[in-house]
Amino acid sequence: MTGTNEEVWHLPPRAVLLAAILLLLAAEVGGASMGRYKLELARWARAEMQARPAVHGLVGVRDVDERILDEAIFRVDAGLRLFHMHAEGMALVIIATTTVAVTLARRAATRRALLLLLTLGGIGYPLGYLLWSVLIPTLGIERGKALAERLLWLPFGGATILGLAWLSALIAVRMARR
Amino acid sequence: MSRPPLLVVFVAVVVITLGELGGAMLSQLRPSTARWAAARIAANAPAHGLTGTPEYDDAVRERTVFSVEAGLSFFHVHAEGMGLVLFFASTLVASVARSRPVRRALYALLTVGATFPLGYLAYALAVVELGRDDGVALAETWVLTPLGLAAITGLIGLTVALARRPEAR
Repeated sequence: MTGTNEEVWHLPPRAVLLAAILLLLAAEVGGASMGRYKLELARWARAEMQARPAVHGLVGVRDVDERILDEAIFRVDAGLRLFHMHAEGMALVIIATTTVAVTLARRAATRRALLLLLTLGGIGYPLGYLLWSVLIPTLGIERGKALAERLLWLPFGGATILGLAWLSALIAVRMARR
Repeated sequence: MSRPPLLVVFVAVVVITLGELGGAMLSQLRPSTARWAAARIAANAPAHGLTGTPEYDDAVRERTVFSVEAGLSFFHVHAEGMGLVLFFASTLVASVARSRPVRRALYALLTVGATFPLGYLAYALAVVELGRDDGVALAETWVLTPLGLAAITGLIGLTVALARRPEAR
C-alpha cells in the first residue's frame, strides 16, 4: 500500500477509491435527478405530508397549510441540494486525504485507522442530507433533522473531523522531526 | 505524481479540517452565533446606524446577522474547496514545474491563496464590529482580494508551467 519513497504520492487502496468514485457518481446522479424530477419529488413530498397532517401541523385551512407545505418542500429540495454538493466535495476530500495518509503514515495500524475514519466519515456524512430529505415528509422538518443528525451527521461527521485532525497532527509531527 | 513539500500538504489538510469544523459549528452553534452577533451589533450601535426605532433596528439586525451567517457559510464551503485546490494544484506543480525557483514561487502563491477562506471569517467578524458595508469593504480590500489574487496568480503560473512543459523537453 505504501512504499519507502515519500517523495511521490501513493494511491489509496482500490476499495477506498471505488467508494469515493461511487459517492461522486451518486452526487452527480442526485444533482441530475433534482433537476429532472423536481416536480415529481415535490408531488411525492406533498402527498406524503398531506397523508400525515398531525405530523406537519396541517389544520385544514388552505392559506395556513400551503405555507407549511411550501416550507417543507423547500427543505426537502434543500436537503437534496446539500447532499449533491457535500457528496461531490467529500468524494474529493476522501481521495486527497487518504492519498496523504497512505503516503505519510508509516505505521500500518495508523494508516488503516486513518483510511477507515476518512473513508467512512466522508461517505456517511453527505448521506445524512439524503436521509433528512427522505424523512421530512414522514417525520417533519425538525424530527427528520434530529434523526439524521443522530444517525449520520454526528457519527460520520465526527469521524471525518477526527481523521482530519489526526492527519494534520501526523504531518505536523513529521515536519517537526525534519 | 510527485508530492509537494510537507508544509504545503499540511496547509491543505488544515484548511480542509477548518472547513469541516466550520460546517459542524455552523449547524450546531447557529443559535449561539446569532445571539453573539446580535449582542455585538447592539454594542456597536452607531456603526450599524441603529436609531432606537424597533422596526428599523430589527431589520438592520436581521440583515447583519444574515451577513455573519453567510460569511461563516462561505468560509465552510471555500475552505473545503481551497484545501482541495491546494492539494491537487501543488501536486501538479511538484510533477510538472522543472525549475526549483518556479516551483517555490508557485507553492508560495498557492499556499497563501489557499488561506483565502479565512477572509470570510474576517468578513463575519468585521461586519458585526464595523457595520455591514464597512465590514464587507474591509474584508474584501485587505483579506479576500489579496489572498484571492495570490491563488489566481498561482493558478495562472501553473497553467503557464503546464503549457510550456513540452517545449522544455
